[in-house]
Amino acid sequence: MKRLSIYVLMLALLTIILAACSSDEEKTQDTETKEEAVTIQGSNGEVTLDQPAKKVVVLEWTYAENLLALGIQPVGMADIDSYGDYVNIEPQLEDTVVDVGGRQEPNLEAIAALEPDLIIGVDFRHTAMLKDLESIAPTVIFNPYPTDESIDLYEEMETTFNEMAIAVGKEAEAEEVLADLEDTYEEKTAEIEAADLKTKDTILTLAYSGAAAPEIRVFTPNSMASIILDKLGLNNVHQPDQFEVFGSSTFNVEGLTKYENANYMFTVPDEDNIYENQLKGNAVWENLAFVKEDRTYDLGAATWLYGGPLSAKTLVNQITDVLVNK
Amino acid sequence: MFRKNGTKSFAYLAGGFFLLVLLSLIHLTQGQADYTIRELLTEVWKPGRVQDILLSFRMPRLVIGILAGGALAVAGAILQTLTNNPLASAGTLGINAGAFFFVVVSTIFFPSFLGGMTFLTALFGAVLSSVMVIVLAGKQMEPVRVALTGMIISLLFASLTGSLQLLFENETNGLFLWGSGTLVQLNWDGVQFAAPVIILAFIAALVIAKSLDIYSLGEDIATSLGQNVGSIKIVTWAIAILLAAVTVSVVGPIGFIGLMAPHIVRMLGVKGHFWIISHSFLWGSVMLVGADVLGRFIQPGQEVPVGAMTALIGGPWLLYLAWKTAKTHQRGDRQMGGALKPKRLSVVLGIIGSLIIIVFVCALSFNGSEWSFEWMKPVILNFRVPRVITAFIVGVMLAITGVLLQGVLRNPLADASVLGVTSMAGAGAMLLLVLFPAIPVQYMPFGAIVGAALALGIILFTSWKNNFQPMLVALMGIAISAFGSAATQVFVVKAKLAVAAALVWLSGSTYAKGWDDVQLALILFVLFIGPAIYVTRSLDALTFGDDVASGLGLSVRNARIGAMVIGVAISTAGVALVGTIGFVGLVAPHIARRLVGFRHLPLLVVSGLLGGLLLVSADFIGRIIIAPKDIPSGLVVALIGTPYLLYLLRKMK
Repeated sequence: MKRLSIYVLMLALLTIILAACSSDEEKTQDTETKEEAVTIQGSNGEVTLDQPAKKVVVLEWTYAENLLALGIQPVGMADIDSYGDYVNIEPQLEDTVVDVGGRQEPNLEAIAALEPDLIIGVDFRHTAMLKDLESIAPTVIFNPYPTDESIDLYEEMETTFNEMAIAVGKEAEAEEVLADLEDTYEEKTAEIEAADLKTKDTILTLAYSGAAAPEIRVFTPNSMASIILDKLGLNNVHQPDQFEVFGSSTFNVEGLTKYENANYMFTVPDEDNIYENQLKGNAVWENLAFVKEDRTYDLGAATWLYGGPLSAKTLVNQITDVLVNK
Repeated sequence: MFRKNGTKSFAYLAGGFFLLVLLSLIHLTQGQADYTIRELLTEVWKPGRVQDILLSFRMPRLVIGILAGGALAVAGAILQTLTNNPLASAGTLGINAGAFFFVVVSTIFFPSFLGGMTFLTALFGAVLSSVMVIVLAGKQMEPVRVALTGMIISLLFASLTGSLQLLFENETNGLFLWGSGTLVQLNWDGVQFAAPVIILAFIAALVIAKSLDIYSLGEDIATSLGQNVGSIKIVTWAIAILLAAVTVSVVGPIGFIGLMAPHIVRMLGVKGHFWIISHSFLWGSVMLVGADVLGRFIQPGQEVPVGAMTALIGGPWLLYLAWKTAKTHQRGDRQMGGALKPKRLSVVLGIIGSLIIIVFVCALSFNGSEWSFEWMKPVILNFRVPRVITAFIVGVMLAITGVLLQGVLRNPLADASVLGVTSMAGAGAMLLLVLFPAIPVQYMPFGAIVGAALALGIILFTSWKNNFQPMLVALMGIAISAFGSAATQVFVVKAKLAVAAALVWLSGSTYAKGWDDVQLALILFVLFIGPAIYVTRSLDALTFGDDVASGLGLSVRNARIGAMVIGVAISTAGVALVGTIGFVGLVAPHIARRLVGFRHLPLLVVSGLLGGLLLVSADFIGRIIIAPKDIPSGLVVALIGTPYLLYLLRKMK
């Protein structure tokens, strides 16, 4: 486990160094062209900035990650303390980033004190206080869980990432990050292909302990994580009975029997490892084909399945790593 | 006669048993893996997948359902005898809520100790809330007071649980289903753990059945018949607490079974505690297994919390039960209390006024890390000032609601939350969020208004004939409130990710109130304050009792309707502004009554100011204590208000 994370870390670091080197040259020409008004599209409509934002306050982890991916440190961010427990990417947040309170009720005075050029929030939390945020600075909110079934959540992630890039005048970087991600897919798809897996069928889950039995969230095909599986040439076999707006169905172990011939990928919090604590020795669990044939893959606790391109990349690396090295 | 009774009882037992077997068989065919009945029947005999699933998932689930249903029903039955109150159960007395709060605490802070630890913490919570009920409800165990006390304790623990879920959003992910009760099992561990406790407690209940028969004749008679009433009480409480704690720790807080099952048993004409307890166990099992079957029938392949189903069936039942109870019981008017020699109003107003000024200055100048007296700075002027003012106005409004409703119900424990208005408003708002997930949070007040109106409608409809007898109104309120909170809990499970927004709103928050909120609050306040002052006169007359009041030429019914409608309207306005903040309406009038006596006009003024003071302080504390994070002011009020309220209840013997 430890060695694995070091490996991933080094890999991530290497790609970032490479990315940083290549982006340096373009930066100079960027700054000249980008001193004009930009318009971005959020779920609260079009937002126009006189010039790309420099001081950004970000109120949701995923969007903080996006900023970091674009090479920008936010001036303020919500819930910094817990961020590191769930999101596992390079580059790290700098210490100078100011905590502006909880994600749900961010501290308006603290945000205002930072005098930001732009505030970025998320639809399901910050619609209620949009007016107040807008009185501080132009505010854009995004909706990561569109109720429109035709929009897949990966597409949503890319769109939001690009919009954010426009907002801070880093389209070139965004392109690069996404291109890099595409390259990673290609490279990793080949690696996985070469590993000659028994089956490409997969399900991906996230589990918590419930009252007496664990609650297992199985990702649906429209979720971002599942689309990443597709891009790696894997096949998510879970078909939900109904549209799941958050991209996962809730199962118990009995429901997993449907998918026992698939590979079982999971993330589980370290302090609440249901596989160690609850499922070990359980007759049904132990007899599931993927357990018996050793096709369960632990993606690690700190893999954020709801993140942006860098979390996606971490996820891709983790997936490949566990599939190839097992 | 006895014989006839015996055969009837036996017939019911046999019938119930047959029903249980039938439901159990259906129950076993349900699950996320689709097996036909034929497959199940042929495959179950040989080792393999089907047998494993049946043996390690479905059978334990069924067995835990039978045990938990029985345990809840038995706990309800003996609590009802013990408190001489048909509305008593582990749910309504706040025991479940207390137990579950500590379960949540243990999952957040000691996640690796799940199992035995959960039970111990649940037991601790159950004991704590029972002790609170016993100490606070007074020796006579007067039904309304017991029910009100239980409800206040439930409200307290529910708000504490809500705050933990809010502050530990990611850590409490797995708790949602548990929070509304679920029978899902993974193996026999739960059963192995719960079965001995439940069976032993059940046997113990049967053993003391004879003593309970005598006890139900009344404490005096029981004592004169040579019963040791004290030890019977202790043993009975212990059994009930144990049963509640063990069910909460294994399946979560499930309401209504403990109310319905014993009541059905009594309706069937079963007499004697031995039989009442046995029947209750059986019917409790039937109902819980039935509810689980129904839940999975409605949404196959999905987990519908079984507590949702019991609430759905049990809510209307509880209303009916409250209605019946109120009719059979004598009037429960309470002495409202209040200083007989009121302090001089000008002195009181002077002191409160200066306190308000001090708190205002602090609230406007301190943000948790630094003092600043530049109140005209845009940041403070746009965010802090309107927020503090809104908090003040809403606090005044909530306190006035309390004064009016307490005057109407002639019960010092009345409040919008006691009438069920607050919890139905919460349920209405949550329902809106579940039905239209895309709807922005600022539309939640519309749902709240509909819910509150519904609660008021039910009360008006059911109590019209009885001239709004205080007892009946209070009991209906408790029933509505229990139903509303159960429904809210279910909707919280359904709303999933939007849950944090919902929780903030439910716990009540003065966060991010701007000048337009101040404007709205002022308009509403001006609109309602006139009528509120107007009805204080008839409320004064009502203090002397219905007869005196009608002698004075007052229409008792009209006076009650008037005060109640205005009270509910003001509280709904408060809810629409800041979400469901409780306790202000309970605490402020209490303090005021001790200062200025029971005349309603001065009471209204002083309560209002105190209410404003309380909410501004709560908002201030919530804002600075873990700055830059906010604690919703509704939670702070609950934390400050409850100890005071409990202290008052204790004194109010």
